[in-house]
Amino acid sequence: MIVSSDDIIIKTIARIFVPFIQLYALYVIMHGHYSPGGGFQGGVILGASMALLLITHGYDEVKRRLPEGVVMLLGSVGVLIYAGIGLTCLLLGGNYLDYSQLSVILHVDPAHARSLGILGVELGVGFTVMAVMYSIFFDISTGGILPEDQKQEEKLESEG
Amino acid sequence: MEVTIFIHAADDAFRILEKAKARAVGLLDTATNLTSETRWMREKKIQAILKGAQETKSGFQNFVATFVMLMVFWALLSGKFDTFHLSLGVICSLIVAYLSHDLLFANVRVGDGRLIAQRFLRYIPWLMREIVTANFHVAYLALSPKMPIDPQIITFRTKLESDISWVTLANSITLTPGTITIDIEDREFMIHALDRKVADDLDTGEMEDRVAHIFMEADHIYIQDVLDVSRIFAELKRGM
Repeated sequence: MIVSSDDIIIKTIARIFVPFIQLYALYVIMHGHYSPGGGFQGGVILGASMALLLITHGYDEVKRRLPEGVVMLLGSVGVLIYAGIGLTCLLLGGNYLDYSQLSVILHVDPAHARSLGILGVELGVGFTVMAVMYSIFFDISTGGILPEDQKQEEKLESEG
Repeated sequence: MEVTIFIHAADDAFRILEKAKARAVGLLDTATNLTSETRWMREKKIQAILKGAQETKSGFQNFVATFVMLMVFWALLSGKFDTFHLSLGVICSLIVAYLSHDLLFANVRVGDGRLIAQRFLRYIPWLMREIVTANFHVAYLALSPKMPIDPQIITFRTKLESDISWVTLANSITLTPGTITIDIEDREFMIHALDRKVADDLDTGEMEDRVAHIFMEADHIYIQDVLDVSRIFAELKRGM
């Protein structure tokens, strides 16, 4: 269980940098089809920014921003986006993840459809990687026991 | 005959003296007025700042400010200004601003943000100069055969009030060769210094004063801020 850090310098610097780290992560994801980077790298940076916030500001602060349920939802939605785009291509008569088939739905030329398709897949990968990275870090830091569960257990013990 | 002349002369002298005195009093009055006027203005400003210290900006203002800053950052990173990429930037900035709008501007007083930025920019060259001078001193310490170092840990209590000013001061100290901030605890700075001289330089508190000046804290009001001396001198010169 991680509580808020006592070090003012680390806390303040983290506070100022976290939004920029997050935006940089999203930039890496969104420009994955133009420049180095992509869904995995961006997702890791995004997860790292949340880990930084968890280390410096403690569990409560992070939970208020991004509850556990939302993280799990994001992870699943990411997989859904990835698989959905792949299967759509399959249904349209191409191979799995054959983005050029998407031109029929998106009403653009095949080259453009490829670019957009890759962007969508990157987005899905980014979501999932972020959620899973964050979730792993979260589970390690709390030892797998959520503070709410712990409180409830203590309550039950004191009652019984 | 001589007596009348003498009396006339005395009269004239007296009149001139009176005139000079009246003029001097007038000048002093203007000076005092100016001073009190500037002081009154300053006091009003200080009151506003202190009042602002108690209330922080509203959430929406923070959201908008964060969004604008992130959008600028996005434009710098991306370098693509077509509609598609800009709209991606807007969406991403909105998401991040929603997630962390209370992070970037936590503990910020309702002060003159532009003034703080200006003062911060003016602080950087001074810090650079300080770093270069300290560099030479540390090089001298390291290169002289006797190596006259005298490592010591000094502590001082700061008068700064907000976390951002503490961090600015701590990082300025660490950036200056020869001194390193070890810890800040309850406004108590703990600093490792390489020898007596750098420790003494730090003890003068000039850096702290300058940081206080940037963020408008503690007794940040320098004497030249309260009494704008140049204006008074100009008025006096015009009167002469």
